[in-house]
Amino acid sequence: MSNASSSPRHPQGDEVSGRGRILVVDDGITMRLYYRSVLEAAGFEVEEATNGVEGYEKALASAFDLMIVDINMPKMDGYAMLRAIRTDPALCAVPAVTISTEASERDAQQALRAGANFYLVKPVGSKELTEVALMVAGRSPR
Amino acid sequence: MVLVKQKTPGSESPGGPEVVGRDALLAALESDTASDRRSAARELAAFPETAPALCDRLAVEQSPSVRAAILMSLIRIGSPEAAGRLAEFLRSDDATLRNGAMEALQEMPDALEGHVDRLLADGDSDVRIFAVNILSAVRLRSAPAWLARVIRSDSHVNVCAAAVDGLAEIGGVEMLDDLADLRRRFAGDDFMEFAIDTASLRIRGR
Amino acid sequence: MALPKPAAGPDAKSVMTDVDYEKFCEFFYRKTGIQFKENKKYYVERRIASRISAVRAESFRDYFTMVRFQSSGEELQHLVNDMTVNETYFFREDYQFDALVDGILPAVVSRKRPGDRVRIWSVPCSSGEEPYSIAITLLERWAECDCWDIEILASDIDSRILSEARAGLYSERSVARVSTALRGKYFRPRPDGQFQICDDLRESIDFSMANVVDRTQTGRFRDVDVIFCRNLLIYFDDIVRRQTAEMFFDALAPGGFICLGHSESMSRISPLFLPRKLRGSIVYQKPLSAE
Ligand SMILES: C[S@@+](CC[C@H](N)C(=O)[O-])C[C@H]1O[C@@H](n2cnc3c(N)ncnc32)[C@H](O)[C@@H]1O
Repeated sequence: MSNASSSPRHPQGDEVSGRGRILVVDDGITMRLYYRSVLEAAGFEVEEATNGVEGYEKALASAFDLMIVDINMPKMDGYAMLRAIRTDPALCAVPAVTISTEASERDAQQALRAGANFYLVKPVGSKELTEVALMVAGRSPR
Repeated sequence: MVLVKQKTPGSESPGGPEVVGRDALLAALESDTASDRRSAARELAAFPETAPALCDRLAVEQSPSVRAAILMSLIRIGSPEAAGRLAEFLRSDDATLRNGAMEALQEMPDALEGHVDRLLADGDSDVRIFAVNILSAVRLRSAPAWLARVIRSDSHVNVCAAAVDGLAEIGGVEMLDDLADLRRRFAGDDFMEFAIDTASLRIRGR
Repeated sequence: MALPKPAAGPDAKSVMTDVDYEKFCEFFYRKTGIQFKENKKYYVERRIASRISAVRAESFRDYFTMVRFQSSGEELQHLVNDMTVNETYFFREDYQFDALVDGILPAVVSRKRPGDRVRIWSVPCSSGEEPYSIAITLLERWAECDCWDIEILASDIDSRILSEARAGLYSERSVARVSTALRGKYFRPRPDGQFQICDDLRESIDFSMANVVDRTQTGRFRDVDVIFCRNLLIYFDDIVRRQTAEMFFDALAPGGFICLGHSESMSRISPLFLPRKLRGSIVYQKPLSAE
């Protein structure tokens, strides 16, 4: 267990360094590790969840600056997770980026309708991922 | 004393499941009441020949709890026919339905086996990805070899990425060469290089 | 290859082959949802051996035939009683009882009219510490306790442990987390050092036998507002967990809640319930619009 959950969301002093906390929700182990390595290198703190329900649970348990959510996951897919989160007063404002393998316009629409702020299509390069994370969640490092 | 003891609430379904025949259950599967459809779906697990009817209902069913009950019964039935019908849902646009079908297929290894070749050869890369996802989690001795075949022969990056992910969990040392070949094929792709290195390390037990 | 186990008594000599063991586990799993892995063979075998001698069966095969086909189901019940892990104590994971009075019940009654019934189901209840802790918490900490018709149901698969629950006799160890004040109020110390729960509380809880994987036994639980299901699902595999979750869905009223043990999560089991954070605890809610 990391002690991450105790770090305040909007740092005012010197206690918190880095650009913010990101919740990565993906059922693939290599995906999660990849997002983690790229985002940590960019100065973010990363927590992982393996499906939508777990993602929802973790989002409730502590505050995040961004959620990166895979669409195809067991138990609760990314759309369903976002829809649920967007109706929860405590979570409706947390920015979210979805990642899917489907490139069609309709899926993008579906992601945005479910409450995503941005969507990416796999494979996602490290540069693209970092840029989007900085744009959606980034705050300048101290 | 404020806490009151009540008798345990009485049974609500008069008649009991035994007296209700298969056809009555099939009719109840179309009922307007979700709880009736749910219990009908559950009871139909005793009649394997109703798998196609359960799948027909699944295709239009909107209630998550009824869907869950139907999927559970299909798992219980566990016939190749049921698996074949479930596999058709991998093509659905409805992510919840698709994922439900995938999870169910993961629980029916024997029934699934006969459909794998066809799914891995599907023209739609997403269907191949879903098949790979299923293989990564199903209790089938042959699953790792299937995944290895995917990374040798599938040209789609996301299908291969999904297979690498599966191999990170269930692959064996005999697949390290295939992984190395794959890394050469996708040289320059950040994610693939990372994923293959991670999978190889995990397979080597580090 | 299996190494011979050290002899631990007259029955420790192998009474069952590996195939017997596999068959037995398969059967027991189907009946109870409880799964024994290979490394539990010694544990299982010892208990079966003692049942074999208790009923004077000739062999494992004879015994197994009896368990499977006995119409009363009595011997299966004996086995269940012997095989289950009943460990529990008062105010275990009590942060959840805080969530119950400060978060869950207010949410539940916000949709009810004063005097309506509030139904709580503790399953599995083991020797009763959990439902009694719930009752004490409500009496002590829930100001609105008097305004509602509160019903506490408590069930377990183990018939022997249920009679202990009804008797309400507890060891010092079991009440270790009960304050002196509460001990004085709700327990009677006995000369043998045990603590007896007071009669009012004993009578306020409806104990009954129920196997969560048996629909004929759970069908009567309906319109439940809060289910406590702690430290049971850990003994089950994915399918039985899912089946149990679906049974809870049927048992709960719309908007009803499930509380799991602290190391347990619905997230790997079922998406039918939504996680909620109430007073710092993660609990799971059946959507109000579910039906
Ligand atoms: C460790 S105790 C948990 C007691 C209490 N909930 C707690 O957390 O302290 C587990 C209980 O589950 C019961 N149990 C096991 N399988 C069961 C089943 N299929 N249905 C109902 N109860 C079961 C056992 O008899 C045992 O009393």
